[in-house]
Order: sequence, then structure tokens, then C-alpha cells
Amino acid sequence: MATAFANETATPSDRPLLEAVGISRSFGPVEVLSNINLALMPGEVHAIIGENGAGKSTLMKILAGHLPPTRGTLKIDGEPVAFTGPVDAEHRGIVLVHQEILLAPDLTVAQNIYLGREIRKGLTLDDRAMNKGAAQAVHSLGADIEPTTVVGRLSIAKRQLVQIARALLVPQRVVIFDEPTASLTLTETDALLKVIGEIRRRGAAVLYISHRLPEVKEIADRVTVLRDGKLITTRDAEGLEPVDMARLMVGRDVAKLYPDRVAAIAPTLALEVEGMNVPGYAENASFVLKKGEILGFAGLVGAGRTELLEGVVGLRRGSGKVKLNGHPVHFVTPRDSMRAGIVYLSEDRKGKGLLLAQDLRINVTLAALGQFVRGLLIDRKKEAAALDGAITEFDIRTRRKDLLAGQLSGGNQQKLLLAKMMLLNPDIVVIDEPTRGIDIGTKEQIYKFIADLAAGGRSVIVISSEMPELIGICDRIVVMRGGRIVGEVTGDRMTEDEIVVYATGVTSREAASMAGHA
Amino acid sequence: MRKLLLGSVALGLMLAAGVAQAQEKKTIAVSIPAADHGWTGGVVYHAEQEAKALEARYPGLKVIVKTSPDGASQANALEDLTTQGIDALVTLPHNSDELTDPIRQVKSKGVFITVVDRALTDNTVADLYVAGNNPALGRVAGAYIKEKLNGKGNVVVIRGLPIVIDEERNKGFDEGIAGSDIKVLDRQFGNWSRDDAFKIMQDYLSKYPQIDAVWTQDDDMAVGVLEAINQAKRTDIQFVIAGAGMKDMIKKVMDGDKMIPVDILYPPAMVAVAMDLTAAGLYDKLPVRGSYILDATLVTKENASQFYYPDSPF
Amino acid sequence: MSDTTTTAGEKRSLRDIDLRAVAPFVALAVLLVLGALVNPNFLGMDNLLNVLTRSAFIAIIAVGATFVISAGGLDLSVGSMSAFVAGVMILFMNSGAVAGIFPMLAAAMLLAVVVGGLCGLANGTITTVGRIEPFIVTLGTMGIFRALVIWLAEGGSIAMKAPDLRAAYRPVYFGNVLGVPIPVLVIIAVGLIGAFILYRTAFGRHVIAVGSNEDVARYSGIPVNRVRTLTYVIQGVCVAIAVLVYVPRLGAATPTTGLLWELQAITAVVIGGTALRGGVGRIWGTICGALILEVVGNIMVLSDLVSEYLIGAVQGAIIIIAMLVQRSLMRRR
Repeated sequence: MATAFANETATPSDRPLLEAVGISRSFGPVEVLSNINLALMPGEVHAIIGENGAGKSTLMKILAGHLPPTRGTLKIDGEPVAFTGPVDAEHRGIVLVHQEILLAPDLTVAQNIYLGREIRKGLTLDDRAMNKGAAQAVHSLGADIEPTTVVGRLSIAKRQLVQIARALLVPQRVVIFDEPTASLTLTETDALLKVIGEIRRRGAAVLYISHRLPEVKEIADRVTVLRDGKLITTRDAEGLEPVDMARLMVGRDVAKLYPDRVAAIAPTLALEVEGMNVPGYAENASFVLKKGEILGFAGLVGAGRTELLEGVVGLRRGSGKVKLNGHPVHFVTPRDSMRAGIVYLSEDRKGKGLLLAQDLRINVTLAALGQFVRGLLIDRKKEAAALDGAITEFDIRTRRKDLLAGQLSGGNQQKLLLAKMMLLNPDIVVIDEPTRGIDIGTKEQIYKFIADLAAGGRSVIVISSEMPELIGICDRIVVMRGGRIVGEVTGDRMTEDEIVVYATGVTSREAASMAGHA
Repeated sequence: MRKLLLGSVALGLMLAAGVAQAQEKKTIAVSIPAADHGWTGGVVYHAEQEAKALEARYPGLKVIVKTSPDGASQANALEDLTTQGIDALVTLPHNSDELTDPIRQVKSKGVFITVVDRALTDNTVADLYVAGNNPALGRVAGAYIKEKLNGKGNVVVIRGLPIVIDEERNKGFDEGIAGSDIKVLDRQFGNWSRDDAFKIMQDYLSKYPQIDAVWTQDDDMAVGVLEAINQAKRTDIQFVIAGAGMKDMIKKVMDGDKMIPVDILYPPAMVAVAMDLTAAGLYDKLPVRGSYILDATLVTKENASQFYYPDSPF
Repeated sequence: MSDTTTTAGEKRSLRDIDLRAVAPFVALAVLLVLGALVNPNFLGMDNLLNVLTRSAFIAIIAVGATFVISAGGLDLSVGSMSAFVAGVMILFMNSGAVAGIFPMLAAAMLLAVVVGGLCGLANGTITTVGRIEPFIVTLGTMGIFRALVIWLAEGGSIAMKAPDLRAAYRPVYFGNVLGVPIPVLVIIAVGLIGAFILYRTAFGRHVIAVGSNEDVARYSGIPVNRVRTLTYVIQGVCVAIAVLVYVPRLGAATPTTGLLWELQAITAVVIGGTALRGGVGRIWGTICGALILEVVGNIMVLSDLVSEYLIGAVQGAIIIIAMLVQRSLMRRR
């Protein structure tokens, strides 16, 4: 494992490795960070938590040289520095692991990891050495990815791992992780946490940004809370419970993350799927969904959950019997299923959910555009009204209505995507990873919204890798492994242990130890 | 029209090679540019017509006509033709620089080489060279304009593409008007295209209030020029001189059109002359080595009917 | 991402949108001033109308190209297609299949539009159903259309034979209504219809969505292939409309008809502010781009500054400078 790190010899001391003194940052007249003081000590894991919009991203960008501060100074080993850019910061050992995937999809894993710092042998590239190095780097993260695989073929989780491996290849003083576990499985998260332990042991500092508070609790030495661009507090993690963190982030008592609900499940079947095959992904899958029910789909990344549901709604070629309200249907295109009243919200909000380069109005009406056409013309007033409605109903926080979808925060993008699909007034809603990369306040809203959908007589399918969330909101959970439906849990049996047994195929004791951190 | 003029017909000596039989199996390959504008269209037409005529005249003769869209593919075509086994090659090369070596390769296989219109960079490669007279085409046009305008007036010129032929014609034109007060107001490239010539003529008409005559050196471009003058309703332009021998223009000359009083011949049929001579060399053992330069005949109302081919596409 | 970046983006986008749309018109205005300095005749009514009229072919074709490119496609075959449609149209008129001058003209025009639409349909279907890069498909059809014209013309030109028909059709290029040349009216009409379709109809919205992100469009239930194919059909119809204006000018289709028009059309689209990667379409910018191309050529001939051998270089440089001016306008805060 150690060979994967190109670290300098650590010289532990009690002087901060990186220090922010009175950092402020404004965009135009708006100050988004004010007077932040932060010191990263050698060998510490420092978590930064805060709601979306609290200023975490901006702070991170300043620390990693992507943005200069408007006021204040950065110090390395007590000396003031001004980064000329991210490359400069990286040379000084400040490494940022991005939340977004920034890899070339057509290059291999090894080529991506060594991009811009290729190992050469004379005039040619030393592919063998790079493949070997890449394999080690990836393996040390507990993942098993062939270094010669083209990145475009990897799942999002695996791409995230490749990205982390790439970042850890250079000598590190401070490693900044921006929600690294958002798309990782339990095993992968475990391995990553071990890697972080290793980085700390070598005397570097880790700045860790995550919405998963239990994870923060487990790994962090100190926790800094940001709210509205201000530093609320920096405390030792010891004795700070997730619920305390949530309260500090939101600035008030967070009632309960998951809504109380009285399940209003009707006996009628909304959707019946029998013997569904999606070549390469899902095999002979059968399940039913009742009216008013929230059905969860659990499983490891790559278990075929997304692909199975995409097959059902006509986004992928698949075969099998599908019945809607008792009538056999066959969806060839997503348009067919939408017309029949089923919508699917992709896990890949940026790639498949929203047109990031178009404005909010165009996004919100795109799927239901037919409703906004009068004669030949699109009724722009009606569109504007629909956007206003969506902003109110889904609490989309935006300063202006003519923003581009890509300028919204992740949580607000998810709300916009919900609003877009709900315009179709569907009977069945399939939501894939509804809260990935979303802060706790928004999560609460989305859970409430899902519960309201079911209470209103609609049926919901939630695909998620976060077991607490499935357990918290679902009436029943189906578990997939290797493309097959391997189990179903309901009522008291809806526990993480039980699900992990099905999802991994290992005994519950092994599973319990794996799930221990969550 | 197949009048022998200018310069030498350098006579090559007949080789004593036994008595030729008219029934003898011989193959002539004809490699020419694909029809990319009117004139080359005429070349293709005449080559195909002549191929039929020759095959009828010499029973053992096979004529392969191959057109190529550009120089590189013509070089490939030459290779393909050679591998089929040919006795003579008649070629109108896309351009001299690119094709001299490929043609030299063909010659090295013992093939009789006839080059049409565009001379190769190495004069020793061609056994027979058949061409129109480019300098004369310009000179005759210049001389006619000088005479008709009584040695004084404003002329605009629309050139073709920047290649050797075009340069030769231009120089010839300048020689033709030399010693007069004829002023060339402007020269622009019209790419031997009707549409481009139309645009340039429109712009000339905006730019110059007084133009006496136009020289376009190509009948295709003259079509665009006439349309532009017609649109502007300008009466100062007395006539347009073009060249090549396109049937529409010859017809205008025949009909006594004031705007097109004459045409200057640069006939695409020269390829047929070349094929004819080549076949004669193969079968009749006539001494056909050397250069055949066709006259840049001035076509007037009186002699126009001799040069009118209503069935040709050009 | 957080709201902080939102604030930054907000400022930029406001200025971007305005400037991007305005930039080509600014470039055109600068060129007009330049032209006036080079030669006072440039601003003459006759010259300006000539240039405006001449730009009709490229402008009309480029409006079609705006649809194709906005949807993330590309059509290299438009130049050859123009020649082919013109050839078919003239041969039909020469056939005398319809009696009477105006019925014949109407039938020929209808035929041209149908042929253009079918050519576009072929491009679109092969691209979408065959899942082949549009670059390759239209490069292939470019060769096919061109060869078909040369074949139809037997290497020469295809000219309108009947003088009365020619006389009746001629005003479509050379005539005017209240002093405005008919081709200019056609540009305006095509621009208005194009803008209406692209900006105001559901189909236009779908075009932008498909070009912006094909996956998002698919997941939103948009029939991506159908939208793509239709953009090629629109392109084909635009080519046919350009031909309707082209044929009466010289009354003939030749193997040089439409040569390199595809590149001019694409250039016009890009100068007009439409992104080659798709997702943005600017109809009026495109028309302005076509005007810019024609004006640059006109200024070159009207000026005595540049040797005829160097005109191509100066034209290329002016286009690049125009794009640089545009980009810098966009970047400026």
C-alpha cells in the first residue's frame, strides 16, 4: 500500500501545515466567505461541514489555488503564500480531490492517473511502469480495476476511485476531499477511510468535506462548521454527535431526517414486472409495486438496479412482461412510459437529468413541453408560470430565474429535476439516488416530498446506495446482487445487517463488521 | 480547325519494327480530368466520341477512357492503366508538377506518351504533345480589343485559376494590347466559374463607372458576366471577349450577338486530335512525334458554323 | 457546487447573452465602415443591394445549417445538393412535362423542394438509423450528389432551354418588390420562419435540447432520432429554397454550382454565434454571418489594396479577426 504514495518524509511538528488567516471572498457585491480562520495541523483529519451554499466549495477552491481570496492570507509553514493557480498549489503539496469526475473518458485508467505526468522511457512512454503504478494505486484504495480499462466504461463510483488514486500520486502536504464517498459502496468507502488514515499517519493533513455525518464522526479529529459564509465553530470531534453537527449546520434543531408517515398502501398493484431481462445487467427480475407504496432498491454499485429500471421504462433494450394497473404494456422508448404515467429520474443529474447550459425555464418544461404548446407556439408565459410554481412548490433556491441549470447547487438541481418530471403528473415515480451529494437540509425536504407523493396515492421506487435512507423512507426494500433480485425485506426486517447479507452474499457477522462505520 | 500551326512538328523517325497489321491488338489508354467545369466536360465528351470512332476504324484497337477528379487519383489511375498492359497513353494531366513522374513511370514500360494541353515539367517525357495555344489565346483577344476600341479604352479582366495556362494567357493578352492606350482597370480570379464571374462583374460595375470591354478568357465565365451587365442595364460596355468554343457562345457569334462579336478557340476537342494522331502512329506508323499546337482561331460570324457542335455538352 | 459560484456565474451570463447575440452585427457594422473607407461606391445602393442579393444562397442554406448544427449534427453535402437539386429542377423544366409557363414553374419549384427534402431525409436517416458520424455520411452524400449532377449534365452544364420560361422565372432573382430585391425578401422570410420554428415551437426546443445533451433529451422523452432527422430535412428544404433563387440567375446548373458552399454555410453559422458542438442556435446571427462573408468578398474586389493573388489570405484573416473580436467581446466583463 505504501508504494502507492509518493509522499515526502513527514516531519511532524505543531506548526500548521496550511493556515487561512482572515480569508474573505466576494463575488461582486456579495460576500460568500467572511473572515475565515483555519489551521490544518500535521496528521489531523479536519472535517468541514455545512449546508449547500454555506461556502465550503469556495473555501476549498481558495485553499487549493483555484480562486484567490478577496481579503486575508494563506500561510504554509507560517510563511504567507499566494498561489498562482491549482498547479502551483499542487507543487506545494496541496491536493484537491474533486467531487465531479474530471477524467478523460476515452483514455485508460493508467493513462488518466498519469495524465500530465507520464513516465517516460527515452522518447516513448513507459506504459508498463504506468500500468503497474496505476494498479498499485487503485489496489491500495481497495478497488479492483484493471489499469488498461477505458475510463468511460467504468461506473461513476469506480471513476471516483480512479480520480482519488490520481490525486494521491503526488507528494502531499494537505489533501482536500470533496465528498469523496458520495458515490462509493461500503467496501470502497471503507478502503478510502483506511487510505485517509494512512495519509494522516504520514503527517499530512486531510481536509474532509462530507454530508455523511456519521462518517465525519468516525474519521474526523476536528470539525469546522460553516453557515452562510461564516465560520460558526471549530471543535474536537470527540463528543460531537451527528445530531449536534446537524444542529450547528442548520442553525436550529433538526427535527427528524425522515418524515413520519402513515403508509397508505392500497391493495391494488400499480406495476408488475415479471422475468425482466436487460442483457448484460439484469436477469429474470420480477417485482411488484403497489399503489401508494414506496419501494426501495438496495444493492452494491453495479448490481444492476439502475439498468433494470431503465429497462422497464424503455430507456434500455430489455425483455420481460410489464403490467401497468393490470394491463400488459411494452415500452420501447422512454416517451412511451412517460405517456403511460411512469417517470424515471436519473442518478446522473448533470449528464442525463438536466441541460446544464440552458436556463431553468427550458429545463423545467422540457419533458412536458406538449402542455405548453398552444397551436404551434410555445406559451412562454405559461412556462414562466410553471417555473414560478416549481420554485415555490419545490423550494428551489435561486437568486434569479434566468440562471442556467448548471449554476444551481446540487440540491437545487435535484429539486429542479423533480419539478421537471412532476409536471408530467406521473402515477409512478422512479428516483435513482435521490440525495447523492445533497446537504442535510435539502435531504429532509426531498424525503418529505417522496413521502407526500406516496400519501397522494402515487407509487414511488427509490434506488439508493445509502441504506439508512432506504430504511428511513421505504415500505419495502428489494435487494439486488449481480443482476438478480436476491431478496426482499419489509417491516422489522428492514435493517442494514439484513440488507447487506443479501447485497453481498456474505454472512451477517462479516456483513456487520463491514457496515460498522455507517 | 485541326490546323497545324506555330512551332515545330519535330519529326521522330519511324522505327523499323515490321509491318503493322490493322487487326493487330493494341490498347490506348486515355487519362483525363473528370468533368469539373464546362471545358473539361467537353474534353470528356470528345474523348468518348473519339474512342468509339477509333475503335470502329481500327478493329483490333481498344481505347480505355479514364477520368480522375484530382491529381493524386490521376496518378493512381495511371498505375492501374499501366498494369492492364497498354501500348499508348493519351493524357491531359491535372497539373504538370504532380504528374510528370507518374507519367515518366508509364513511359519506362515502353508506352507511347501523348500529352494534351498541359506540358509536363520535363519535355523529354512526352513523345507527342498536343495543345491549344494559350499565349495566342490571350494575344488574339488583346489584339481584337485593341483594334475594335481603336487603341483606346478601359478594359476589365476576369482570370481563371492561378495556374500556368492562366499566366500564359494573361501575358499573351498584355502583348496583344501592347503599344496602345488600352487601360486594364482590374484583374480578379473568377475560378472559371459562372457564379464567381457574375459576382466579380457585379463588383466591377459598382467600382468602375466606365468600362468599354471585358475579357474573361473562358466562355463559362462569360455567361455570368453577361448576366451581370444585363442586370445593371449598363450600356457603356461594348462587348465581352471570352474563349474556348462553348456551343452557346459560338451560337451567339453565329447569330451576330453584339455583346459576343467573336470567340477564340481553345477547343476541348484537342484531346480527340491527340487520340487520332496517337492511333495513326500505332497502326499506320506515321511519324507523329513532336508538338502539335492548335491555332487560337478567331471565330467570327462568318466561320462560326464550322465550330458549332450542338450535341456536345460544352 | 454552492451558491457562491452561482453568484459569479450570474454576472457573467447576463453580459454574455447580450454580447454573443450582438457581436456578429457589430462585426458587420465595422466591415461596412471599412468598406466605405476603401471605396465610396461601396455604400452605393446598387452595390449594397447586389451584395445583399448575392448572399441569399448562403444565407438561406446557412439557416438550415443552423438547425443541423444546433442539434449537434453537421451537413457537408449542401453544396453538392444545391447543384443536384438545381440540375433536377432544370431538367424537369426542359422536359415540358407540364403545360403553361406558370403551372410549369410552380410544379418545378414544388419538385425542387421535394427533392431537397428527400436528400435531407436520406442524410438524416443514414446518420440516425445507421448510427454513423454525420461528418462521414454527408461527406459521402456530397460526393454522390456532385457525381449525379455531372452525370445528369454529361460533364457539361444543364441550362434552361425554353426562353419564355427563362424570361418568366428571371425576376425571381433580378426582380424586386418596392425596391427590395426578391432574394432579400426570401432571406427575410426564411429567417422569420426559421426563427419561429427554432425559438417558438416545441420542435425547436427539442432541437436545442438534443444538441445540448442527447442523453438528457432522451431521458426527457424526446424522440432524439426523429428530431435529428428532421433537422436534415429542414436543411434539404432550405437548400431547395436557395436553388429556387439560384436557378433564375444564370439559368443553369454546372459542375461548379455550389462548390464549397458547405464551408461557407458552416462559416456563416459559426460567425453568427452558433456553437459547433450544438445546443445554441442563432438564426439572425447566421444570416448576419452570411452577409459578412459576402461583404468581405465585395470589399476585396472593390479595393485596390490587395493583389488578386492574396485575396484568399486576406479574406481568411478578416474572418479570423471577426471571430476574435467576437470572442473578446464575450469575455469582457
